Amino acid sequence: MKHEEWKKISRIMSKRSLWMVHFCTGCGAMEMPPVMTSRYDMERFGIFAMATPRQADVFLVTGYLAVKTLKRVVQVYEQMRDPKYVIGFGSCTINGGMYWDSYNTIKDLSKYIPVDVYIAGCMPRPEAIIDSFLKLMDMIDKGEAIGWQKYRKYYDQYKRNQKMAFEYRLDEVKPIKEDDKNES
Amino acid sequence: MLTEVLVSLLAGVFLVLALNKYPRVAGVVAFIISLLPFMAVLAWAGTMGITVPSYLKFFTLETSLTYNLGPGVIHLAITPLGWFFLMLLASVFPLTVMFANSFVKRNAGGFYAAMLLTMFGSFGLLLSQDILSFFIFWEIMSWSIFALVLRGHDRRAIVSYLAFGSLSAMLILFGFMMLYYKTNTFLFADMHLTATPLTLAALSLLVAGFAVKGALMPMHAWAPHAYSRSEEPFVAFLSGGLSKLGFFGIILFMYGVVGMSVISSWGTFRGVPWFGYALAVIGAFTAFAGTVLAVMQDDLRKLLAYSSIGQLGYIAIGIGIGTPLAMTGALFQALNHTFFKAVLFLAAGAVFYRTGKWKISELGGLGYKMPFTFLAALFAIFALAAIPITSGFAAKWLLYEAAIQKKFLFVTPIMLIAGVGAFLYAFKILYGVFLGEPRYDVKEAPLSQLIPMWLLVLPLVIFLVIPGWFVDITAPILRGYGMQPIQHTLFSINTGLATYNTLAVIFGMLGGLLVAFILYKWKKQEVVPHIDNYLAGEPPELYEHIGMHASSKYFEPFDEVFGPIFKKGAERGWEIVLSAAEILGTGARKIYTGIVGDYSIYVLLFFIILVGWWLLW
Amino acid sequence: MVMEIVDILEKILILAGMVTLGFAIGMLFNGIARKVSARIQNRVGPPVYQGFIDVFKLFGKKTNISHGWIFDLAALFSVSGIALAFLFLPVAGYSMLSTDGDLFLILYLLAIPALGFALGAGASGNPNAAVGVMRALMSMLAYELPLVMVMVAMMVYYNTTSLANIVAAQANMQWAFFIPIFFIGALVADMALQGMLMEKPFDIPIAPHEIATGPMVEFGGKHLGALMLYKMMGTVVETTLFVDLFLGGGVVLSVAQYGWLAYLVNFAVWFVLILIVFLIAVMIDNVLPRFRIEQALKFYWKYDALIAIFILIWIFAGVKI
Ligand code: SF4
Repeated sequence: MKHEEWKKISRIMSKRSLWMVHFCTGCGAMEMPPVMTSRYDMERFGIFAMATPRQADVFLVTGYLAVKTLKRVVQVYEQMRDPKYVIGFGSCTINGGMYWDSYNTIKDLSKYIPVDVYIAGCMPRPEAIIDSFLKLMDMIDKGEAIGWQKYRKYYDQYKRNQKMAFEYRLDEVKPIKEDDKNES
Repeated sequence: MLTEVLVSLLAGVFLVLALNKYPRVAGVVAFIISLLPFMAVLAWAGTMGITVPSYLKFFTLETSLTYNLGPGVIHLAITPLGWFFLMLLASVFPLTVMFANSFVKRNAGGFYAAMLLTMFGSFGLLLSQDILSFFIFWEIMSWSIFALVLRGHDRRAIVSYLAFGSLSAMLILFGFMMLYYKTNTFLFADMHLTATPLTLAALSLLVAGFAVKGALMPMHAWAPHAYSRSEEPFVAFLSGGLSKLGFFGIILFMYGVVGMSVISSWGTFRGVPWFGYALAVIGAFTAFAGTVLAVMQDDLRKLLAYSSIGQLGYIAIGIGIGTPLAMTGALFQALNHTFFKAVLFLAAGAVFYRTGKWKISELGGLGYKMPFTFLAALFAIFALAAIPITSGFAAKWLLYEAAIQKKFLFVTPIMLIAGVGAFLYAFKILYGVFLGEPRYDVKEAPLSQLIPMWLLVLPLVIFLVIPGWFVDITAPILRGYGMQPIQHTLFSINTGLATYNTLAVIFGMLGGLLVAFILYKWKKQEVVPHIDNYLAGEPPELYEHIGMHASSKYFEPFDEVFGPIFKKGAERGWEIVLSAAEILGTGARKIYTGIVGDYSIYVLLFFIILVGWWLLW
Repeated sequence: MVMEIVDILEKILILAGMVTLGFAIGMLFNGIARKVSARIQNRVGPPVYQGFIDVFKLFGKKTNISHGWIFDLAALFSVSGIALAFLFLPVAGYSMLSTDGDLFLILYLLAIPALGFALGAGASGNPNAAVGVMRALMSMLAYELPLVMVMVAMMVYYNTTSLANIVAAQANMQWAFFIPIFFIGALVADMALQGMLMEKPFDIPIAPHEIATGPMVEFGGKHLGALMLYKMMGTVVETTLFVDLFLGGGVVLSVAQYGWLAYLVNFAVWFVLILIVFLIAVMIDNVLPRFRIEQALKFYWKYDALIAIFILIWIFAGVKI
């Protein structure tokens, strides 16, 4: 079998079996139980909550992140194995949400770790969460969910931003500068 | 030539004593002399029906010898049973001496002298053919062990060994006196015993006396202390080699001197003599209790000591059941225990040599630092847990089969559950000492410690692959007691209940490993440092000084369940005996009032009783 | 000579095929269990082939971490050990290597993957893993006592220790399950099976909510894939052991009489039987909470073992020597 076809099969496999580690920091975590249990049942898509980052493929950051929490998020993210995907959950991970002027929460998660899919809303409904998973699956299938490759490529930029954040110099954090072409 | 061997062993004792100033030289000399018994084993191999290539035969030895020492005659001869146990002792002994070369620093000459004297005693003991020489050599062996226990400077160990050693000597002596009273001869061969109560009493006393050395419960109370407070090379020899002498004695007197027919005539239960049944039950209890106690220990040496007690219990079960299957199993277990326990004690010694720690909760992570020690210990632990990739399994399997064959419905589950218990303490050793967080930055053990360990692992592999050889080796022993050796080919054993084919297991395992290896090599991997670990997202820097080793109180729920039942049970029993003896003693002491008048009354009373008795008779 | 080599090759091929079948059934069972749990919880649940997807995904992970060569032993020993244990079982009356070993061997072969797994878990240096292994060993000690008691009773009753012979003795539908005393024995052993399969209330060793899946905490990617294979095959091995002991290995037609048709039917019956045994465990799993480890020990040693002792006494009284 050709290399391309193998890749395709492995993509289908990883798409249908997303094991997630959910990082319950913010209020958004409240919406996870209904998603997991009978009402919305995400296991029918092969999504399953795992206990440790070593076993997981998807990282669900559910809500606002204080600088202190960011340290843990980075640690967990680096312990996950490639290919790994991140879902930013709620407005807080997008632009700070209602913590937009807080002195010690980070505003844009994608400046510290690459985020594949964002879910807007404060807090997002289970339907939105399921929808984001489906979107992620679609992206994996097309080979667009390449956050983990970006993290490798722009490692120094991410590290610099993280360092700035850990030292509470949040205003010095810059957006990640990307090259034009991203290979999948 | 036999005289020369014995004399040179004795001469070696004085030689190494004289070389006390130069410990290294003394070690080398002791090692060279310690090879003599092994050469003797090879020289005698031919008479046991085992062909040994001629370049391994260093000298020829006569098979029997008598010394006329005026009042008594010492009869020495090699018997299949003696040869088998001599083989075990003689193969462990030089290796422990070799290990001692780098391990024993203090008063090394004395250490080697006592070791050689122990071996001299055991050598004579295994050859002796009469109760007189048997007892003399037994005492030489026992007292030189005492000299070695003394070097541990632990009061409890010394006192308990002294007490139990003397108890054992007394029991054996009483047993011998009864035997002599009954038969009027010293020679084993001339004793034609009949099934009388006196024989039963003598045999019971002898078995109780030998059980002390074999550390059967409740005579084991000395072993945990003596095993855990002496130097490791000696303990390896004590646990691996010398403890088997107790079982040698039991087999010799039960099946050799008294004989199966006499034992059976005291009554049998479901085809097993009551006497043997009792021994098997004691063995099963020892196996279980020893295992449970081993799980609770934190001191590595204590753990190994209790595990020794537990594993030796299996031998007693086999001897007790007394069928060919069970005897082969018991001898096989003796062989396995000799080697794996020696490896484990030596590995513990090597760990101590590098880290200076005995407590399991203080050790950890040595597997990557001392990989060869770890692998040897791992293999020994597999043998101990009877995992079928070592020869340890075949022995236990034979014992289980023997028990099922004789329909031991209650002993077998106890044996099996003790076997499962062995996994528990085996993993405690593995995790506590070798796995987990690396706490010490140490080098691998020196070569003079690694070589003995790896040589001792060798038999465990050989008899894994070819258990048929073992059955062949023990066949003369069984034939000597009128039993038929069990059905076997080189690679498989058939017990009539089932077959065990080692080739199937080995090739199955190898094939499985191959497939697993391919699966596993399919994808590349990177090795991350230990500190990069899942700690619920906590950054590892925080844990650098806290430590992540969970070995302290490792089996706490187990301790909570079994602790109240087992802790100090046996010792408390002996303490009750002790206090009873003390009360009796102080009561008896009151007779000696120190007043002359009282004494004259005693004499008068004694006289009146004597005269009265004489008059009445 | 050539014929012999061909024979051996044929045997190896059959064995390899059987092991592959075993792994496949294990993966299927994983999916079925999840589907059934989902239905019990009024969910839709994943497709039944979810187990295959998970394993392939794990082996397809791009990067894998290891904590050194002792850590890797887990992957090697667990897969090879469980495959070996499977080979020594008679499956649907078809004996692969089971005439070369017996029940004791199987009991100890089952310890190879467990100890190998424990080695790897210990080498990861994670405290959760160590605690998980401790619990696994303790629960092994707990469930093994009633199990071996029932097994010993059966061995004495059938006067053989070989599982192949026990299965043969139950031919013509004379299953031990239909003998009253062994019906009780089957219930006792089924409780032990619950612990063996690590289903609730005895899923103490992996308890994801307490100790983060215990021994598996540091395993990811291909290592976890190997462990999943071990666990999935483990369900097949353990249920087959139960079926062999009490349900005659699923043999309904004798091979001598019906030829290949008998194989076909027997394999189908065997599959249905292990599925039923497994589903019973899954259903119990779904309705019970988790024991603490000392509660599990007390449960097995007090109640389960007590019934087992009754069985032993019964056999003891009945047996003639
Ligand atoms: S987005 Fe809203 S719900 Fe989510 S963490 Fe922020 S504030 Fe809470």
